[in-house]
Amino acid sequence: MQTRPRVTYPTTTAVDFVIVGSGAAGGVIAKELSSHGHSVVVMEQGPRLDPSQFEHDEFKYHFRNGIANPAPTAWRKTDKDEAKVGDGLLLYARLVGGSSVHFTANFWRLHEKDFMERSLLGGVPGADLQDWPITYAELEPYYTKVDWEVGVSGTPGPFDPPRSRPYPLPPMPVKSSGVLFERGARKLGLHPQSSPMAILSKPFNGRNACQHCGYCMEYGCEFGAKSSSLASMIPVAEATGKCEIRPNSYVRKVELDARGRATGVTYFDAQKKEHHQRAKAVILCANGAETPRLLFNSASSRFPDGLANSSGMVGKNLMFNGGAAAMGVFEHPLNEYKSIQCTRLSHDFYDSDPKRGFYGGGGMDARFQQYPIQFALGALPADAPTWGSAYKKMLADSFSRSMTVAGHTTSLPVPTNNITLDPKAKDDWGIPALRVTYKDHPDDLKISQFLLDRQMEILEAAGAQKKWVAYPAIEQQFTAHLLGTCRMGKDPKTSVVDIDHRTHDVENLFICDGSSMVTSGRGQPTMTIMALAFRAGDRIAGLAKRGEI
Amino acid sequence: MTDQVSRRAFLAAAGAAGALWLAADPEQVQAALMHARKTVMLPPPYRFDALTAAQAADLEAIAMRIMPSDGTPGAKEAGVIHSMDKALATFAADLKEPVIAGLADVNQRAKAKWPGTSAFAALKPDQQDELLRDIEKTEFFGQVRFGTLVGMFQNPSYGGNQGQVGWKLIGFESHGINQPPFGYYDAEVLKGG
Repeated sequence: MQTRPRVTYPTTTAVDFVIVGSGAAGGVIAKELSSHGHSVVVMEQGPRLDPSQFEHDEFKYHFRNGIANPAPTAWRKTDKDEAKVGDGLLLYARLVGGSSVHFTANFWRLHEKDFMERSLLGGVPGADLQDWPITYAELEPYYTKVDWEVGVSGTPGPFDPPRSRPYPLPPMPVKSSGVLFERGARKLGLHPQSSPMAILSKPFNGRNACQHCGYCMEYGCEFGAKSSSLASMIPVAEATGKCEIRPNSYVRKVELDARGRATGVTYFDAQKKEHHQRAKAVILCANGAETPRLLFNSASSRFPDGLANSSGMVGKNLMFNGGAAAMGVFEHPLNEYKSIQCTRLSHDFYDSDPKRGFYGGGGMDARFQQYPIQFALGALPADAPTWGSAYKKMLADSFSRSMTVAGHTTSLPVPTNNITLDPKAKDDWGIPALRVTYKDHPDDLKISQFLLDRQMEILEAAGAQKKWVAYPAIEQQFTAHLLGTCRMGKDPKTSVVDIDHRTHDVENLFICDGSSMVTSGRGQPTMTIMALAFRAGDRIAGLAKRGEI
Repeated sequence: MTDQVSRRAFLAAAGAAGALWLAADPEQVQAALMHARKTVMLPPPYRFDALTAAQAADLEAIAMRIMPSDGTPGAKEAGVIHSMDKALATFAADLKEPVIAGLADVNQRAKAKWPGTSAFAALKPDQQDELLRDIEKTEFFGQVRFGTLVGMFQNPSYGGNQGQVGWKLIGFESHGINQPPFGYYDAEVLKGG
């Protein structure tokens, strides 16, 4: 990527916007607002890596959190349990581009029904299921902007919601797992389709096409073919000459003045020295865990329970998405470690169907899941040997011939599933650490098991020599999806941000990231987070233009 | 969410055993990497950093039963012991004492089972297997298995997987660039039009 002269702003002069987080949402909003001529500083807690610095190193990236989150996180299932650091794991990337750098790049739009499930299905006991305050039709133009500006490869499937423009790029070439998935699914009367991916099947917008190196999920793309914020949005934002990306800048507090307006953010630089960046407005895009944490850490006499938390909704209704995994081994080599993770999926069970007797829906896809170390450690069936010659032979025989069929399912918004501050644990800066309280709703486990049964059937129908449950439908203690914790809504009593992503409580404080989502979709939330961010950028620019911030 | 199922499955499978191998900062790993690279280029006898020669021989003997050299290269040919020794000397230093204690326990068991045995490494392979079956559920064995598999299948720059023998064993190629067809079934579709 060519080097451009980059603008820098002094901390003492108020910029139009300071954005906290440079990931899927922050990168898009920075690009939108700077393109409208606004001065923007983006605070990113991690470093800035050049794509040439991304490595094909499973040990470092998967096992040693090469670019992912090493922050302490306390974890418990319910508020009756004591939270312990290490009992669970939130995985998000900390670098310029955020988790959009290491994501798998499945880009599913939400369906029209996702926005109105409460109206369609009624309430669910033990959950706070609500309609979104916006519709699919309102978000559709912004999904299309994601397709065309960020770069998505695909072709419409039979269950897709309406789209105003075709995909800009043809689907990625099918892999053997996709061929087998399609074969099995069709035998069962299902309707498999190409997986829409935020990976370039052809050169696009001056970026390289995918080289099929096989390192997508958990890795950064050194070719720039994966449509991260880093590859797609941040270069455009910087080219406006109005946007400064400030890496190694860890925001610990949003500051307010006596009138209750945000004045900017206090942050640590790489040397842990504290600074205050002044701004006319603040936009939080720090993800569904870090955003509520920052609001709690910004409590004041005006907002004793956390900034913008008069509703008490900050941190509540945390959703992960669920889904179990099945594996199968076939007669001939698939070599699934080559190219992207997924090429075929099924949305036959996307909708929540009251006939099943529980809430929930999901998608299934065929994929490569396990690089060599992970495969050796735990991918073989439970009845397989775990060491010695027979074990070694099984590894040798099955690595290149196996594939995963994964489920991606709903998580209900459960008010007691939340992000709070841990009363004891602190991070390396002495700031109270995240505490996750999470227990899957019974319906979430039911839909996960329901799809797992279908996943096993697909492997059987596809002709697997052996199939097994690689990951069962059990309560989750790990996630990379962080959703619902600063819910969007029209009523200030039951939501944190309004339909413009403005907090109900602070006129010049906005939030847009996974926390804005009212329901969880069926996994793959990044497409929707980016679409919300394009829409938020549009709305916020409009408010600024009318002098309403 | 299944994008990360492999990691969850790993956490479940490796549990506490894995965690101790991983608790360190990236700079230490970098130092270990450079060290490992240098060491594997030197001619034998190897110098070990964390272990004595006798401890290294016993640890390697266990690794060789987990990944035997049985017609195809195993832990020995992959240089797993060097990868583990370097890890124990640097980023997995917290594990050094537990591993040494575990090796001492294994030797005690060997001597109790077969009086007159000098060390686990001196036992016959089927005796070694018999002893390891007794301890295969222990945390110590889990840790050695984890270290062995990481050493077998990691990037060769860490000191293990020398000559990419681990990757060759399972049919993994670490190319930067691939082109379709990738496997048998998509090739079939391409041929069929």
